[in-house]
Amino acid sequence: MNRLLTYLFRMALAAILAFITLPLVVVVAASFSPTSAVTFLPSEWTLQWYTALWDSRWLDPFLLSVELAVIVSLASGLLGVLGAYSVAYARCPGHTAIMAFLLSPMSVPQIVKGVAIVLFLSSIGLYDLLGTPGLVMAHIILTLPYVVRMAATAMFGFDKRLDRAARILGASVTQRIRYVLLPLIRSGLFSGMTFAFIISFNNIPLSVFLVRPGQTTLPITVINHLEYSLDPVLAAVNVASLLFILGAIILFEKIGGFSAQFHGGSK
Amino acid sequence: MTTIDIELLSVSKQFGANRIVDDISLAIPKGKFVSILGPSGCGKTTTLNMIAGFEAPSSGQIRIRGRDQEGVPPEARKIGLVFQNYALFPHMTVAQNVGFGLKMQGRPREEIADGVSRALKSVRLEGFEDRYPKELSGGQQQRVAVARAIAPSPSVLLLDEPLSNLDLKLREAMRVELKEIQEDLGMTFIYVTHDQEEAMAMSDRIIVMQGGVVAQEGAPTAIYGRPRTSFVADFIGKSNILPASAETGTDRNLKVSLGAGKAVLTAARGDDVAPDKVRFCCIRPEAVRLADAAGALDEPANRLTGTIQKVVNLGAYLEARMLVDGGITLKSMIRSTRLEKLSAGCRVDLAIAHSAVQLLEQ
Repeated sequence: MNRLLTYLFRMALAAILAFITLPLVVVVAASFSPTSAVTFLPSEWTLQWYTALWDSRWLDPFLLSVELAVIVSLASGLLGVLGAYSVAYARCPGHTAIMAFLLSPMSVPQIVKGVAIVLFLSSIGLYDLLGTPGLVMAHIILTLPYVVRMAATAMFGFDKRLDRAARILGASVTQRIRYVLLPLIRSGLFSGMTFAFIISFNNIPLSVFLVRPGQTTLPITVINHLEYSLDPVLAAVNVASLLFILGAIILFEKIGGFSAQFHGGSK
Repeated sequence: MTTIDIELLSVSKQFGANRIVDDISLAIPKGKFVSILGPSGCGKTTTLNMIAGFEAPSSGQIRIRGRDQEGVPPEARKIGLVFQNYALFPHMTVAQNVGFGLKMQGRPREEIADGVSRALKSVRLEGFEDRYPKELSGGQQQRVAVARAIAPSPSVLLLDEPLSNLDLKLREAMRVELKEIQEDLGMTFIYVTHDQEEAMAMSDRIIVMQGGVVAQEGAPTAIYGRPRTSFVADFIGKSNILPASAETGTDRNLKVSLGAGKAVLTAARGDDVAPDKVRFCCIRPEAVRLADAAGALDEPANRLTGTIQKVVNLGAYLEARMLVDGGITLKSMIRSTRLEKLSAGCRVDLAIAHSAVQLLEQ
């Protein structure tokens, strides 16, 4: 009976994993297809679609998306850690209300947010901010809740006696933040920033309102291309983005070490 | 003349309507091991936090090395603190933990390394520099915490129940070591604990606190031998505390009646208790002796007879409960070579020295 349950459980697990990964396998296979129709398991293999990516038509949107994701994750990280500090660590007056406010963008549909930002910018006469500045602002609003949430969780779990210990050893408030608080919440902060990076890099529903013609992000370029043709170059773009995101996650993990276990002595 | 390191002048601390510390005055001499002893909720930790600067007194003044500390934050007080849970920095190695205080002072690298190795040497933890706190046992973490606190050479070290998380054997070993460290460094130690044995074993001076006030202050032997209140007598060591009232007396002795008034004991006159104020008397269990063993007593003693009600053999000595004629019950600790002869129901002759009957007001 127990063995049957284990067996069924493993089957279910395999099915779920297959459901998640199979579309990716199809995309990867299609990206090597020689015909311009997308086929799964092509008879011949080619790298022509990848070489086709080396073109400003794809490179420019890619660079814009990278620039955006880098700026957004850094800015969200900085703002998020400041927000989390006052809300979760210093427990400023009204901290629960402020926390709810900081998290609120999560509960507004992105399309609504996009429309609202466009209307707001044009109604105050800052229509020129559409394009990169508008995208940066919008993406920060979108990703800040993730960073705040992760950094705040890390700070809630911070043992304040460590702060007292540092204090009696003569550490000023900036020294305590630099040498004790930040290193101990680093993994939480960096996992939040990783979310911000990925969300910004992949975003469509919000970006679509804010890009300027001829200056679009990579996902928007893919969507635009898709309207006219469905060819393996899209599969190649997706595989390339996938590898890029993977590389970014590994880099964040190397710096932030969010999967590493701390040598935690005191609880 | 002794220098005073830390001075509390009528310090009080109030949280709402709750007076946690009530008008305490203390003077802690330099280079001494002083314990603040009391049950939980007596205000000892609050007192420590006020000395450290984590809490401000509601009234009164705290002076460190002669300077008023009002408005001086903990980071500027230059005192060390060992926490109950050690509070070691989990992301730093032992060397980084111990060197933290020197690093915050902006000392050069060699000086930090020097201070770290000196501090680790005095807690006998050389060779552990590159370990992380998680990789150490409780006792080793405790030593790191002490080393970290002494590395910047503060003149005063505060210790907040530092041994309470260790097992009994280790605790007893650490008592001796802490005392040795303190003597080696000549540092003033203020040791907060609820464990009277710990306080007795290490201190030059004990401050017993109860309900936010100082119940008694003095050398360990003085506090044990001449407790001033029944609380102190009960809290420090074991004791028989019996309601008592004074009968007749001379300059040197006072007869007191105990229990229902059928038992009368003679007590050597203490220094301060007026006869009409006597409410209790305290007799330490080891002062209740068998009369034949007390033959060597070279001081006047009360002679009593009683019946043993219960005996517990603890190896080195016997713990016995006696029903003394006249209706009082006494706990007694008997060290005798003929222990095996005593058992429940035995009639015994007892002797209690006059000087061992301590009179108490409250």
